[in-house]
Amino acid sequence: MTLRLLLLSLTPLILLSGTASASTDAAEKLLHSAVAEVMDATSHAPNSAALAVSVRPILEKYVSFDSMTRRAVGPGWRQFTVDQQKQATRLFTTLIIRTYSSKFTPGEIPTIKFRSAVSPVTGRVEVPTTVLYHGNYDDVTYRLEDEGGWRITDMVVEGVSLIANYRPQFDEQFKQGGVKAVIDSLSRSVSSQH
Amino acid sequence: MKTRPFILESLLAALLVALLSGCAATSQRQSSNASPAVTGQAKRDGKPVKPQGDEVDEYATASVADPLEPLNRAIFWLNDQIYTFVVRPISKTYDTVFPGPVRTGVYNVFDNVDFPIRFVNDALQGNFKRAGQEGEKFLVNTVGGAGGIVRLSDRFPELCNVPAADTGQTFAKWGIGHGIYLVLPILGPKSLRDTVGLAGDYALDPVTWLTLYVNHAWTLAISCPDGVRTLHGKLSTYDAATHNTLDRYLAARTAYIQNRKHAALK
Repeated sequence: MTLRLLLLSLTPLILLSGTASASTDAAEKLLHSAVAEVMDATSHAPNSAALAVSVRPILEKYVSFDSMTRRAVGPGWRQFTVDQQKQATRLFTTLIIRTYSSKFTPGEIPTIKFRSAVSPVTGRVEVPTTVLYHGNYDDVTYRLEDEGGWRITDMVVEGVSLIANYRPQFDEQFKQGGVKAVIDSLSRSVSSQH
Repeated sequence: MKTRPFILESLLAALLVALLSGCAATSQRQSSNASPAVTGQAKRDGKPVKPQGDEVDEYATASVADPLEPLNRAIFWLNDQIYTFVVRPISKTYDTVFPGPVRTGVYNVFDNVDFPIRFVNDALQGNFKRAGQEGEKFLVNTVGGAGGIVRLSDRFPELCNVPAADTGQTFAKWGIGHGIYLVLPILGPKSLRDTVGLAGDYALDPVTWLTLYVNHAWTLAISCPDGVRTLHGKLSTYDAATHNTLDRYLAARTAYIQNRKHAALK
């Protein structure tokens, strides 16, 4: 009787851990596929420009650029029209892809060690990794969210979150000239060399 | 002859620490986590639930008091010019003139010599395990790696990725906030706390000790390679933080504050 009661009381815990594990498994599986495809593109790209072109479709498949742009822009996002949101997302996507692909040297593959994933909230998983590249070790954490399917929503390199890093920049532009200033500054950055 | 400036630096450092203590509380209030906030939310299965609809406000940004922003921006611009017209050509020339293995050897020797900075700060942080790892690394590289030319410690899994401690990081672990944000000439982004930390690192650096006892020619001969060896890496970090941005100054500031927070948590 006591054993039965104990088992019954433990059942929700067992089910709960199973759910968390299943969600982190799915997210981790997606991340592994994304990383493998990017590494493959990196190993075959002849130069940096070609690399940026070849990783674009891969990142578009696995990364939620809509969510990244919305969060990077912050509360001001609600004042964008649908067309302006699409334009900002398109420009920001280009910036993110350029930033991400610039971290790799064509033909040189990093060694990536995936550590245990954590799920701080339901529907969100963080996968910490250690990346050995060009003799340096870096902590890189991928954040993924369930948006009707797991997608990467942020990347944190040595503590520096892509989204959190752009937020003050967008805030400043927004303060200076609203939506137009944000889109103009994005356009300028996309068209400049760096 | 050189002990006098050293004493002055120490006094200045002590004064700044006192100032920092006063700034700490303010800075703690203003600095916030770059991670998405998960508090105060509805819960499902015992876990907070990802908010729907209003997640735009979730990403709190890393911030720091920057009352000197106009001056900092001016120094940032000046530094950018110095990097472009002076530092990059020096770094490029060094990379061109000296072959890779020589550069790696020079880098490793000075990195090994910097051991007291990491060791003492690990100990001051109470992280004696890591201080021990630093001690092992130093021994392995000095004895087995021909005076540190070869980083033999990379072959040992427990020694290959030991996070480097510094004095600014120690202050952070002691609960001292950033104080205000500064852009130092040539050195670039720093906080007041980490600027004081630099003085600590300088005092713990054996290269500093050595230069107290040699003439100017030897000081240059020792300090120059120590400075030049890190230029490539520092310029790469600077470029990574400031390229593809909307505001290079803000990008560098936010990246610096986030990165230092991460370093203090390691």
